[in-house]
Amino acid sequence: MLNIKNLQVGLEEEEKQILKGVDLNIGEGEVHAIMGPNGSGKSTTSYVLAGKDGYEVTGGSATLNGEELLDMEPEERAAAGLFLAFQYPVEIPGVGNMTFLRTAVNAQRKARGEEELSAGEFLKEVRAKAKSLKIDADMLKRPVNVGFSGGEKKRNEILQMAMLEPKMCVLDETDSGLDVDAMKLVAEGVNALRDGKRSFLVITHYQRLLDHIKPDVVHIMADGKIVKTGGPELALEVENNGYADILAEVA
Amino acid sequence: MTDMIAKDGVEEETVEAVKSLSGEYKYGFSTDVEMEYAPLGLTEDIVRLISEKNEEPEWMLEWRLQAFERWKQMEEPDWAMVDYPKIDFQDIYYYARPASMAEEKPKSLDDVDPKLLETYAKLGIPLKEQALLAGVEAPEGERKVAVDAVFDSVSVGTTFQDELKKAGVIFMSISEALKEHPDLVKKYIGTVVPQSDNFYATLNSAVFSDGSFVYIPEGVKCPMELSTYFRINAENTGQFERTLIIAEKGSYVSYLEGCTAPQRDVAQLHAAVVELVIQEDAEIKYSTVQNWFPGDAEGKGGIYNFVTKRADCRGDRAKVMWTQVETGSAVTWKYPSCILRGDDSQGEFYSIAIANNFQQADTGTKMIHLGKNTKSRIVSKGISAGKAQNTYRGLVSMHPKAANARNYTQCDSLLIGDKCGAHTVPYIEVKNNTARVEHEATTSKVDDDQLFYCRSRGMDEEEAVALVVNGFCKEVLQALPMEFAMEAQALVAISLEGSVG
Amino acid sequence: MAVSQPKLEGAANLAAHFTVPTGAKWANDTRANALSVFNAQGAPHKRDEYWRYTDPSALTAVPTAPAALFSNDEAPMFDGIDRVRVVFVDGIFDADQSDDLTLSGANIETLADVTGADIHWAKDLYGQLEANGQNPVQRPLAALNTAVADQGLVIHVTAKCEKPLAIRYVHSNENSDAVVHHVIKIDEGAEFTLLESGAGAARFNSVLEVDVADTAQFHHVRTQGRDHERKTVTHMFGRLGRESVLRSFTMTVNGVLTRNDAVLEFTGDDAQATVAGACAGDGTGFHHDDTVFVTHDSVNCESRQVFKKVLRNGATGVFQGKILVKEDAQKTDGYQISQGLLLDDNSNFLAKPELEIYADDVACSHGSTVGAIDDDALFYLISRGVPRKQAQDMLVLAFLAEAIEEIDNEELAEDILNRLAAWMERR
Repeated sequence: MLNIKNLQVGLEEEEKQILKGVDLNIGEGEVHAIMGPNGSGKSTTSYVLAGKDGYEVTGGSATLNGEELLDMEPEERAAAGLFLAFQYPVEIPGVGNMTFLRTAVNAQRKARGEEELSAGEFLKEVRAKAKSLKIDADMLKRPVNVGFSGGEKKRNEILQMAMLEPKMCVLDETDSGLDVDAMKLVAEGVNALRDGKRSFLVITHYQRLLDHIKPDVVHIMADGKIVKTGGPELALEVENNGYADILAEVA
Repeated sequence: MTDMIAKDGVEEETVEAVKSLSGEYKYGFSTDVEMEYAPLGLTEDIVRLISEKNEEPEWMLEWRLQAFERWKQMEEPDWAMVDYPKIDFQDIYYYARPASMAEEKPKSLDDVDPKLLETYAKLGIPLKEQALLAGVEAPEGERKVAVDAVFDSVSVGTTFQDELKKAGVIFMSISEALKEHPDLVKKYIGTVVPQSDNFYATLNSAVFSDGSFVYIPEGVKCPMELSTYFRINAENTGQFERTLIIAEKGSYVSYLEGCTAPQRDVAQLHAAVVELVIQEDAEIKYSTVQNWFPGDAEGKGGIYNFVTKRADCRGDRAKVMWTQVETGSAVTWKYPSCILRGDDSQGEFYSIAIANNFQQADTGTKMIHLGKNTKSRIVSKGISAGKAQNTYRGLVSMHPKAANARNYTQCDSLLIGDKCGAHTVPYIEVKNNTARVEHEATTSKVDDDQLFYCRSRGMDEEEAVALVVNGFCKEVLQALPMEFAMEAQALVAISLEGSVG
Repeated sequence: MAVSQPKLEGAANLAAHFTVPTGAKWANDTRANALSVFNAQGAPHKRDEYWRYTDPSALTAVPTAPAALFSNDEAPMFDGIDRVRVVFVDGIFDADQSDDLTLSGANIETLADVTGADIHWAKDLYGQLEANGQNPVQRPLAALNTAVADQGLVIHVTAKCEKPLAIRYVHSNENSDAVVHHVIKIDEGAEFTLLESGAGAARFNSVLEVDVADTAQFHHVRTQGRDHERKTVTHMFGRLGRESVLRSFTMTVNGVLTRNDAVLEFTGDDAQATVAGACAGDGTGFHHDDTVFVTHDSVNCESRQVFKKVLRNGATGVFQGKILVKEDAQKTDGYQISQGLLLDDNSNFLAKPELEIYADDVACSHGSTVGAIDDDALFYLISRGVPRKQAQDMLVLAFLAEAIEEIDNEELAEDILNRLAAWMERR
């Protein structure tokens, strides 16, 4: 599914290397987690995969089902099946949430050579999926993320994920700013999308999200590299001992 | 409601300070010294006389005369929202100095007329550095401040000269600088505020009598705060000071300026020019507490304050910060500006303008973005009370080459009472699409709920207003150097006395 | 200050270029007064404070520069709406192309007929609101309009009208220099909707005086469509009585010069007014200026000024807005927002949003922002698979939509939004 090889990334504006050779292989249907201290390069990894401006890839590759992501425009990556759930979903005043979703769904279908959804079909599907995420009609009518609470924004991200049906989902610190109930709701939404084929990369600072979204593999990232890989027990180790021990051990 | 106190951010001391100060203009006394005046009015001869008194080089006189010729052709500007009787420029003394300063200037502060030193002591400005040097100094950690004191048309003395000299810093009156460093003055004077800039700047160019000169050499961080204290004492006299500060590459200086004048029935004119030159990686902080006599409660007397202040960020990453607390003057006309020429240069303007009784203030700033990645920030807090008129006037200009430039402007007005006015006149000119400008302005009255809250805790109405207003101004007060912040807070309170009830 | 010689000469030349019509004595007097005001003020000049961002020389040139006719494949605006349709061709009322001037709830006459009548209610309104609006800011081209106009509609609204009146201005002669002046009087409790569209003439000068009585409502939607070489200056003078409502929206697209003055005065308590505009400028030399002056002289009134301008390829957008709150106009709620979206490096946005406030119990604010499309929003849309151009268009439309939302009528709002969307696809 997603294969990252020796990915090296710096900032465009200044001379600063952030990712110093990241290797990661996520197979079909797998759930991987990346954990690590602040500034280790976790979020950068997600932005580079999605194609955000401001980063310069200086080496390595990232392929999705064999296709090189790094050569694609952001919208092409989305059409290829990559989805990034943002840590800070942006507010877009004036653009209705529904309009936005429908434009995105149809743009992707069109790019994949599929038929666009009719207004009726689309509405039916959105309503059903929104309901399971406890997103009410009012939230769908409002402009994208405008005036949404932290939890609402994250649920909205998951709704988009459900509607766009990506192959590879990257969740960037989806738990940040959420209380336990909100986190459970989001996790349920994600788990509902696990179908044995769809893969997930969950980026998080804390172990707690991983109680709800159970990973197959856990990676520890530090200073722009994956420094340790293990099973779910690795997350517990972080929870109990912090990062310092692990970092000392691999140093 | 505990967050309200935090929001207002006014310390206990403020309340104490407010209580301890009387409602009168505290600096309204006059000093009885023998004065020497130039003849009344303005002619070419007067310009020559001023130049002669200062023993200036020939080129300086030529420059003044050129300005005078130009000034005669100019008209007084009328676009500001201020209304005052027409000034008779021939009914003003353009030069006055204490007779004791006339023949031979005092060599050191010890030789200065004790009456003058007493004046500054009374104003709370100690010119005696000896006490400090002898070790009887203030508590540890308190920063030293070098002072240049300007009394009417002349500088009476500058403290800490030696210590500054060691650091390579030049801090002296501009008349002295014309004698000791004429090349430096010649190189920079009029390059930031050209002679022809505006009516008052041109007038100043012709008749400026003194002011401060500061030169910070490359890489030097000025070891202490520098300050100038301006005092208008003589009656019917205009004060026209000129300040020039040059910060060479990588240098830093913080400069403070304070102004007071005696209480007199007849309005007096003050037309100053301040020029700042900031080279690569250098930084100047310029703070002003302007407390010229504002006129009495009936609007009689007071200073007409027409000031041109401008900073030129010539080098990359140059920084300037203007902070002003304008509580005095009958009429204020003042727009400290920043020309952001160097790439990545920054300009900031923090202002509190309080107008009470019959005061009129028209003040603001200009941020001219010419270089790439230049940034500016404007925070203006205007308070109107009594029958006063208070106007913010500002320009933010993004030139086509100012790629990625940023400006943020917050401009708030507070009205106390229904007989005053608060006005906002911003000009926004954007000619570059990578530039971003955000401008917000609000006008409202003092919040009744906040006042009630304070009063229910035992404050009287004036204390409550002072407290709330100090909270309203907090962002600007915080930008002031420590020495000034307390004085400014107290001033805010005093300026508003009599505004309620 | 003395008026400069070039301004005085400019006024004399421009006045001589038009003929002052003659009619009933009251009309002749009003016109003569207006002409003397114009001559005394002088022609507007770019050194005047309120013309600092817009050079008026194309509006004062004698004769006007010709404007090539613009062939337009768009369906006429407001075609799908049930309305009384009136057509002016190069500023002249065209009875043949217009519907009958009958509308239940209103009495509609032509200005030429009215100014010929010795006794008419318009005597107290024609040129009067315009004259009130000359202080403190002079509007010489409005005074000129009052002096020389003999085309326009005079409308007396006595009840809630069942449908809007739609005026279409056709530009068919490349040298036409039109002056149009409408007067609308809306009685207590009555409601009226005016729709205006079209370029009008090579040079088009219009005045609209509208007196909105207590509890009456005036709704106004105007489109100034594409017509690249046209020059337009419009003036709206509105007076609002107690609990009245005035809502005016203008969509402006390409044209070499557009200056819209709106001058509103609240004279009764508890009234509401909105002046809004969405503007799309695409091309060198296209210049759009909205200049609004709202005077609050009564208690508890609300005014809104909402302007959004999208600019590219060398277009310039100007906003000069002012809220004046007089001494006893307590409880005033004044709001002003002006925003420029610059799509490239060649475009300019110039704004002067002013507040002048003499009452203390008020809540007045203004905001102004200028910048490019928000990169984060754009990336967010693109990362969801929306192609870049489509994502940009979405954000541009969303930006303009906030001004369009000020239109009270959903059908009209949608019409305008679709028109803008179509405009964007054409690029």
